[in-house]
Parts: sequence; C-alpha cells; structure tokens
Amino acid sequence: MEDLTLLSGRQWIANQEDSSILEDCSKVPVIENHVCNRCGSKVECKLPSGKLYCRACIGLGRANEGDLLIRCHRKVAFPELSDGGMTWRGQLTPLQQQISDKLVINFKQKQNSLVHAVTGAGKTEMLFQLIAECMKKGKRACIATPRIDVVNELFPRFEVAFAEIGIGKYHGREHQEPNLDQLTICTTHQLLKFYEAFDLLVIDEVDSFPYVGNEQLHFAAKNAVKKDGVRVYLTATPTDDLLAEVKQGKIQILKLNRRFHGGLLPVPREKLFIKPFLNRQGQIHVNLLSEIIKVVKSEHPLLIFIPRIEQIQVYLAALRKKLANDNVKIAGVHAQDPQRIEKVAAFRQRKYDILLTTTILERGVTFKNVWVIIVAADDPIYTADSLVQIAGRVGRAKDDKTGLVLYCYHRYTKNIRISIKQIKEMNK
Amino acid sequence: MRRCLLCEQEFIPPIRFAQIFSLKTFRQPKICFHCLNQFEKLTGNRCSICSKMMEQGIICADCQKWQKKYQGEVLHNFSLYRYNSAFHDLMLAYKRRGDYVLREVLQELSWEYLTKAEFDCYVPVPTSPEHRAKRQFDTILAIYGDIVPLTRLLAKKEGSHAQGEKNKEERLKTPQSFFVDKTIKIKENIQIGKVLLLDDIYTTGRTLYHARDCLTSSFPGMHIESFSICR
Repeated sequence: MEDLTLLSGRQWIANQEDSSILEDCSKVPVIENHVCNRCGSKVECKLPSGKLYCRACIGLGRANEGDLLIRCHRKVAFPELSDGGMTWRGQLTPLQQQISDKLVINFKQKQNSLVHAVTGAGKTEMLFQLIAECMKKGKRACIATPRIDVVNELFPRFEVAFAEIGIGKYHGREHQEPNLDQLTICTTHQLLKFYEAFDLLVIDEVDSFPYVGNEQLHFAAKNAVKKDGVRVYLTATPTDDLLAEVKQGKIQILKLNRRFHGGLLPVPREKLFIKPFLNRQGQIHVNLLSEIIKVVKSEHPLLIFIPRIEQIQVYLAALRKKLANDNVKIAGVHAQDPQRIEKVAAFRQRKYDILLTTTILERGVTFKNVWVIIVAADDPIYTADSLVQIAGRVGRAKDDKTGLVLYCYHRYTKNIRISIKQIKEMNK
Repeated sequence: MRRCLLCEQEFIPPIRFAQIFSLKTFRQPKICFHCLNQFEKLTGNRCSICSKMMEQGIICADCQKWQKKYQGEVLHNFSLYRYNSAFHDLMLAYKRRGDYVLREVLQELSWEYLTKAEFDCYVPVPTSPEHRAKRQFDTILAIYGDIVPLTRLLAKKEGSHAQGEKNKEERLKTPQSFFVDKTIKIKENIQIGKVLLLDDIYTTGRTLYHARDCLTSSFPGMHIESFSICR
C-alpha cells in the first residue's frame, strides 16, 4: 500500500469499484447535484452511458459521476524549529519591515491580509518572516501563483532562504510525485489537488490570468486552506472582489507604495504611430526600429511585448533581418514555446540582447537593468493592470532605478490612460 | 452567442445568406473562427494515394513502401487536415483525457465531406476493448456514428497496444490485431460493394492497411477506400 502520510492534505479520484479502506481518509462523490466537488464547476457534459463528467478539471484526470473523491486528513507534525528554518540573513527596509511585522501578527491572530505593494517593492522578501513564523510552529504553508514562470522564479529564492525546510515545487509542465513538504510552491491550478492542507496560503499575483475571475481556481484556493488557516494575497493592482472583501472586514489591506530601493516607478513614455508597425512587406516601422536600436546601443537588455503569439515569429524575422549586421542576438518566447524556460534563463544571463514576448513575462519576473517596449499597447489584450505590471519590470535594481518604458500605439486607449494615472498616483 | 468548445470564449457564428432562406436546418458551429483556423487544411500538391501534402512528386514515400509490400494493391485514403500541433492537442484532449464532447469538433471538421460521400457501407476502425472500457466510449464510433450509418464489421483483439504510444518503426512492425465480427449482419451487396474505412489519424497507414487486409480476406470482392480526418 502507498504511504498515506505522503498524501496528507491531498485529494484524488478513485473508481467506485475500488473498495480499499484508507485510514484517515474521507470519501465523497466527486460529482454531486451537477457540481464537481474537486473544482466547484457546474457539470453539464455526459458520456454515452449518461454519466456526467467534469470538463473543467479534466487535465487532472477525468472526474466521472459515480467516482469518489478521496481526501486524506491524516495529521502530520513537522519538527518545531526555533528559527523556522530560515537561513536568509538579509535586511529589510523600514517600510518592508513594517509590512513584514504586520503579516506575522496577522498570522498569529488568524487574520487574512492583502498586501498592495508596487511592482518591485520586494514582496518576496517581506514573506520570509511570515513563512518562518509558520515553520517555527511546525505548521504547513503554501505559496501559490497563477504563473509557471513565477513558480520557477520563486522556488530557488526560497530554497536559499529556507535551506533547512523541505520545499516542494509543483506545476503542470514538470512531473513531480506528490510528496509531503512543509512548504509548497506551486501554480494555483495545483491547489485543486489539495484539501484543507495548509495553515497558511499565500497567493502571489492574485490579479493575474488565469486566477483572476476564475471561479474554479478561487474554489480550489478556498478548499486548500485548513478551516482555521490564514490566507495572504499579494498584488500590485488589487482586483475589485478583493477590495470588496477588504470593505467587509474579511481581509486587512496593507499598502506599500515605495520600491525597496526607494526609487520611483518609471513613468511610461508614449509614442503615437500612424503607419502600421509592420508593413505589408514585413518591414518594421522606421521609428520603432530606431527606438529599438537606441536601447541596444545603451546596452540594456530589451523586452519587447507583442500582443499575439503568431506575430512573434513575424517580428522576429523582421528584426533579425534589420539587425543582422550589428551582431544583436534576438529570441522570441510565448506560452506554448517548449523552450520557454531555457530562453528566459538565457535572457537573464544576457545571452540575448532582445527578447520578444507575449504577456507571459508581464509580471513576477525580474531581469536586471531591463528596458521595455510595448508594441501595440492599444491592443485589447493589455488591461490597465497588465500595462502597470509590464512597466514595473523596469528599474528594479538598487543601482539602476530608472529606465525606459515605451508604449507604442495607434489609438490612445482608456487602458493606457488609466495605467499611467495609476503609476503616477503610486509615485506621489 | 455560443461558447467555443476549445477556447471557452464566446463567439458569434457567421450567418450565411443561404442559411436565412433555406428550410434545411443548418449545423451549428461548435468552435470559434480562431480555433477553426488553427487546423490546417491539406492543400496544394498531395500524394495521389494517401492525400499527404508534399513539396513535389505524385506518390509519397510511405505509399511507395506500401506499393512494394502489396504489389501495387494500395489503399486509397482521403484526409482533410494536416496533423499539426493544434490537432495534436485536440486528439490528446479527446483520446487521452477522454473529453467526450470534443467529438463534436471532429464531427464539424469531417461533416461536409462525409455527408457528400457515396459509399455502400461505412466501417469504423475499432478501438481496443481495454481502451474503450477506460474511456467509457469508442473514439471512432463517437465521431462518425452521428454522421453516417456505421457497419461495425471489424473488432480488435484484446491486449493490443495503441499506435499512438509507439514510434514510427514500432508502428510499422505492429502485427494484425483486427478480426471480422461474424455476428454482424451485412447487406448482400456489400460482398462486392464500395466500403469506406473510417479512422481519425493516418500516420504510417499501418492500422488502415491491417483493417483493409482483414476485410479483403473475408470479402474478396469488396472495393475498399479509407477516410481519416488527419494525415
């Protein structure tokens, strides 16, 4: 038999014929009254047998009507460490320290918090003492985020900061056997596999796709925390539903509107284009090209945001042709790119000068000294929130607090206006 | 407004002029324009035997091998789409995850051709009993059953592995695993009739050739062709 202790706090699907008796586990029908108990979605689709099945969480294995959802409630005690296993010895700024202290107090008092901090405020560092407090008591914590790239970015930082703690990393692109980790770092989709597992659940970048407005993931996040567990949300642009909960007093809001280095957020420059960015011959607009060349000459790595995946290749070809003589290394990356992780890592090591990307790199990632150009900032894919996030990639280092954020547009949209207003407001 | 089965986004299906004035009921599209465009139609120069898209030439390398193996007795196959990554994802969701409603997408892609096809009999390529039990549906039957009347002449032996899990060489070495189901009642004219074998993907042709061999050994007079959505 499997060791059930490793599956503590997890839930999985079993066939009805499977009659094995599992200690410390409860069984519920996975589909009840047209609702999936694993992901909370309404279930409408039927198999030829007439049995319902859930499409929404089918990626984790199909949940059929009649199947059982097994939930493991086994209690696990982790060793109590006096320092919480924290090996991080860095210093927080006074503003960061304030938030960090408040998070620890809120955790002790079982109060949920929402940290509203500008991009580049050093949110990750502010979590360390909170996680240490949780580890100290031998309790279990999880940091979840909607983006795989952010998971990959957070994991090594926590590995260094908590060298004595077993940390699990889970996301859909990497197969990982379920393990019992005191600290779990995963995507929000992975939360569907947990049930009342965590004493502390931190959700980073709550305002980003696919978590925002996704009822399935909100359901999963609710289920994954213990009944008396604490939730912490981190965001640079709080969503309306969270602000509503703040108003109802369910969550306490903690604001931090200075970057950790004390510098201001770079305010985007705007540039109107009349002719298309790429003409029919596949040639790039002269003014856009000159802006790009300016950045390359300044020796800053450049992120160029392109609204649609299929355009990446076209821009890539056009740029490579124009910059062929200058020995500029360019790559393109998007969500479906199998080499996505490698390319992002290579860009971080300055192996590329220019990286063309879709919104996958809009948030949660830090590239040293990077500058940003958004092509077609008026595209409906860019909400005001994502524009703020993209602008927030720039000027994150202590020794390089400013930089170029350039919005290239044909039409001045409401989202462009709001995003600039938000950035200026946070700079006040 | 309808919800696309693939991207879950709402879309407005295009209305054709004929649709407004016709008394016929039209088939409602199940996927949006963007998702439909991801499926690449087979166009241009194609293999005259199996429909594969080629730069040049008349017969593709796969078919040349079959020609040698069967002394010219090749199986004519018709396909509509290229097996690209969008199709791969669709088949993965449909077959491996068992997302049964996606059959409607595959129906949408093959509907037009099959309703115009003129064959005496349509024979689906069978799924192995184990896979059928696991998925709780037969993948091929589920697609074509609603479009044309099917005659389930073929059955598959137990314990035969799925082609999708093998590489090209292993696929080609797969032994015959089909047999003719003698319990099925057939129309008399089928002995010499035109039969269309139905499958989802034509990769090496191994499966469809096995299916054809199996049929010709029992019904030597049959004229057999095949259809698969993808090549």
